[in-house]
Amino acid sequence: METTINLKDPYYFKQWQQLIQSEGLFIENLDDITETIGIYENDKLIATGSYYENVLKYLAIDPNYQGGNTFNKLVSTLINQLATDNIFHIFVFTKPQYMQSFEYLGFNVIAQNDFSALLETGDYSIDQYIEELPKVEGKKISAIVMNANPFTLGHRYLIEQASQNSDFVYVFVVNQDVSLFKMSERMQLIKEGTKDLTNIKVVNGGQYMVSFVTFPSYFIKSRTDVIDYQTALDAQVFKRIAQALHITKRFVGDEPYSQTTEIYNQTMQKVLPPEVELEILDRKEVGQDIISATKVRQAISDNDLATVKKYVPETTYTFIKENIQTLLRRIHDGN
Amino acid sequence: MEIKHTALAGTLESSDIQFTLSKGDSGVEINLDSQVEKQFGKQIRKVITDLLAEYGIENVKVRAVDKGALDCTIKARLIAAIQRATDTKNQPNWEVLG
Repeated sequence: METTINLKDPYYFKQWQQLIQSEGLFIENLDDITETIGIYENDKLIATGSYYENVLKYLAIDPNYQGGNTFNKLVSTLINQLATDNIFHIFVFTKPQYMQSFEYLGFNVIAQNDFSALLETGDYSIDQYIEELPKVEGKKISAIVMNANPFTLGHRYLIEQASQNSDFVYVFVVNQDVSLFKMSERMQLIKEGTKDLTNIKVVNGGQYMVSFVTFPSYFIKSRTDVIDYQTALDAQVFKRIAQALHITKRFVGDEPYSQTTEIYNQTMQKVLPPEVELEILDRKEVGQDIISATKVRQAISDNDLATVKKYVPETTYTFIKENIQTLLRRIHDGN
Repeated sequence: MEIKHTALAGTLESSDIQFTLSKGDSGVEINLDSQVEKQFGKQIRKVITDLLAEYGIENVKVRAVDKGALDCTIKARLIAAIQRATDTKNQPNWEVLG
C-alpha cells in the first residue's frame, strides 16, 4: 500500500528515519522536503521517497525488497503524486550505482561523475532548454552566471570585462526565487544596467544553472563534501550547455567572503578546462571597499540608501529607492 | 482536439505503460522508451498514432515509458492521458471507446 507520510508525527518519523539511515542516507534538513510517500507491507515501511519542488530525494528501499518491482512502484508513485500538483518535469540527484535503475524508468542522464549523477524525466529537458536559448556567431563567446541579488557595480564590472574581451557574452541569471530580489527584478536590473553593451544577452538560467537542482547547497548550508560533489555536477551541467553554445570562456568574480563560492570556483577550474577556460577576476572595489550584493542587502535592511548608492549603478539605486518599503517588508517577512 | 496542458497517466510497474502528453506544434511526436522496442516498437507506435487520430489530436508531444504493456493497457492509459490533457475527463468519447 502506498501512502503519504507525515514526518511531523514522531511515530512515522522514527520508522522513516530508520529506513533512511539503514540505507546510508544522511538526513540534512526536513525543510527541504515538500512531501514524503511510503510503501507499506503489513504495516511495515518497506520503501520511501520524497520530493522538494520537482526534485526527488531520500529514496530508500528495505534490502529485502530491493531488485524487484518495489523501486518501480516507488518512483511511479512519486511521479503520479507530483502530477497531481501539475509538476511533470522531474529531477533526481543520486549515486552512480542507481543511475541505470532510473534510466530504465525513462530518466535521462544530464551529468555524472564518480560520486553522483543528475537525471531528469518528463515534459522538458536540457536539450529543449539549449534549443530555446538565442544562438550567436563569433569566435570568442563567453558566459557569466550570476544571481545579481541585486545588480551591483561589481556585476557591472564583471560583464564589462567579459564584453570587452569577447565577441559575445551570455549572462545566465540564476532562476531561483529564494533571493530578496525576485527573478524578474534581477533580470530587469541587469538588462537596464547593461543597456549600453551591445554584445551581451541576458538569459534565464532555468533549472540548469546553479539551481536547487544542480546546486542545493548554494541555498542551504551543507557539509563540505556535499558541496564538493554538487559543485562538480553543476560545473559539468554548465560545461554541457557551454559546449552546445560554443562558449569557450567563463568569467567569475573572486570570492573572498563565501566558502561555498570559493569551493565552487576551485571545482570549476578542475572541470571546465580545456574546452572552457575559467577566468577569475578580482573583485571590484570602491576605495578600499570590496563591492558585494550582501553589503547592499545589509544596507537596505538598515534603510541606509547612502551606502546602497556607493555599490550599485544608478538604475539599481532608483529601483531600490522606489521599492524600499516592499524590500523592507520582504526582509521582515523573511523572504 | 487540442492539448490544453501536460497530463500523465499510467505507472512504471511491470505490464503497464506511463504516458506524458504535452503541447506540441509539429505534429505527433512520439518519444518511446521500451524494453521490447525491437519486437513491438512499431506496433506500440501504431496503437498510439491510431488512437490520437481517432481523437483528432494533430499536435502533441507523447512521452511513453513502456514496461511491457498489452495493447488494451496502452489504449486505456492513453485515453486517460488524452482526457486529462484535453480537460474532457467528464465527457468520454463513446465512439472511440466503443
